[in-house]
Amino acid sequence: MFKWNKLGKVFDPTTITGKEWLHEYAQAPATLVFDDFVRVYFSCRPERDSNGQFVSYSAFVDLDRNNLFNIIDIAKQPIMELGKKGCFDEFGTYPVSIIRENNEVWAYYAGWTRCSSVPFNTAIGFAKSTDNGETFKKLGDGPLLTYSPDEPFTLSGPKVRKFNGKFYLFYIAGDKWVVVNGRPEISHKIRLATSDDGLSWVKHNKDLVPDSWGENESQASPDVFFANGTYHMFFCGWVPSSFRKTKSRKIGYASSKDLIHWTRDDSKVGIDISDDNDSFDNEMVAYPHVFELDGKVYMLYLGNEVGRYGFGLAQLEGELI
Amino acid sequence: MMKWEKIGQIFEFETSPFKDRYVSHAQSPQALVLEDRVRVFFSTREADQPGKFLSHVQYVDYDFEFKNIIDHSDHEVIALGNLGCFDEHGIFPLSPVAVGDKVYGYTNGIARRVSVAVETGIGYAVSSDNGKTFQKYGEGPIMSASIHEPFLVGDAFVRVFDGRFHMFYLFGKKWSQATEGQVSERVYKIGHAVSDDGINWQKDNRSIIEDMIDENECQALPTVIQLGERYHMYFCYRHMAGFRTDKSKGYRLGYAYSDDLINWTRDDKSAGIELSDEGWDADMMCYPNIFECNSSVYLLYNGNDFGRSGFGIARLTS
Repeated sequence: MFKWNKLGKVFDPTTITGKEWLHEYAQAPATLVFDDFVRVYFSCRPERDSNGQFVSYSAFVDLDRNNLFNIIDIAKQPIMELGKKGCFDEFGTYPVSIIRENNEVWAYYAGWTRCSSVPFNTAIGFAKSTDNGETFKKLGDGPLLTYSPDEPFTLSGPKVRKFNGKFYLFYIAGDKWVVVNGRPEISHKIRLATSDDGLSWVKHNKDLVPDSWGENESQASPDVFFANGTYHMFFCGWVPSSFRKTKSRKIGYASSKDLIHWTRDDSKVGIDISDDNDSFDNEMVAYPHVFELDGKVYMLYLGNEVGRYGFGLAQLEGELI
Repeated sequence: MMKWEKIGQIFEFETSPFKDRYVSHAQSPQALVLEDRVRVFFSTREADQPGKFLSHVQYVDYDFEFKNIIDHSDHEVIALGNLGCFDEHGIFPLSPVAVGDKVYGYTNGIARRVSVAVETGIGYAVSSDNGKTFQKYGEGPIMSASIHEPFLVGDAFVRVFDGRFHMFYLFGKKWSQATEGQVSERVYKIGHAVSDDGINWQKDNRSIIEDMIDENECQALPTVIQLGERYHMYFCYRHMAGFRTDKSKGYRLGYAYSDDLINWTRDDKSAGIELSDEGWDADMMCYPNIFECNSSVYLLYNGNDFGRSGFGIARLTS
């Protein structure tokens, strides 16, 4: 079993004032390391609209590289605009995954639209930054990766990685909508697409990780990190019938030697909810993101209410083997 | 110059056996020529929640003179999609193409949205019984929105030319911002894609037919036939707004020709078919489908009110 030592909450969006688009939530953290700071992208929400519904934006905070609990800057505005009327990302750009490429920063993100029979649909969009990731311009109004015969809806949660010169996009796709107490809840599975240029993708059309938590298990945030000859995937999940309850989300783990075949072993994950009643993560740990900085391996993760009150940091003790 | 002789309305919804199960409409008639008959698929409407309906595919079979209906479907030809799928709220139209001993069906799937009326995608289904029933290839679409075609991909028409699959289809350009008391209107154009297997497609990512009205002209339902060395396309087009009630802004048939399937010359004045002075196709003509049968070329189409009353047919005379 791995050992993650929790270092505490890094960022609480509810303490920020003067940004109406950043009222609460700091979801799905993703890092981009600079010389002096670590930029952590996250997704946030303004207050509910007149229909009682949220939209979501993505933004970032910059953390002092020498002290990750020291916030030195915060995005002045969302990193990209919501989509135009009728577009796949009209109501949200969440979550976002970032990678450096050709002196640019590329973003893969899930765009949200609202539907009639189910609450939403999502597809994966693409945008580029030429100002070190402060603002992003979309390549076009439509999605980069969307519904297909084996992935009929709700493509989301992209995590882009580059291994051995090839792009890998880990993401989730809807398996089915499960009606729980009259309300459709989505059951997602972790999927993979590969690409030589980051723009043209070939879907593998397979679930990467088997269920272990229960029927219709919904998986999210497939975060892949290479260490010691093995690809390590930390992800999170829940069972739709318990979605509205607390303590419903967990972090899972799978490993692979070839990025295609994955062996699930949640017993190794080494991070769980806190026992402390006052802690921000005593009900839930979710949306893991693992990164390396100055010889240390860290995990950013969300706490209670799926990051409504921010994200925390844990540090690996020992090795990922 | 094309020249058409109108044979007249050959399907009337109100007097059809479909009236028992469906509310109205027989939209976008599309022909599949079989050994002893012509099977014409169309979409008809089932009542759903108030103000909404579901489009279902049905068919009628004609003799080769289009004088008699010799059979009709009384079963589910193709199922609508499951909860959350792209074709959950309707299939309109289904476009058939015979390939070997199979029939490929390209569907326009409809799913309702909140800020705009609907989103669409192109589905693919295969029939092994001459189009009586179609089995879908997966639950999702084979073609839908992409970076430069952000929504409303649909209305596929597929033919094999020179050993390659060619698809002519519709893609959305914009949804207008709704003004007070008005709904958001869509603008769409005609695109082209190619494929080696009929399933995996490469879009050209461009509008292939020039506008005649203005940049907000809506172009839909392309249908293409090769006659000699030349490819002929019919489609329908309309104004972005006002088209439902104002005859002068409603659907008309447009025409274009090409010798290479890439470059198209729009030439509506050579279409050779116009609104009738009175009757079922005097206010509107839309959803054309062109095909060859017994050495004659035919054009199926809808008339007034988007095919509420049924469809008709014309024969090419020169």
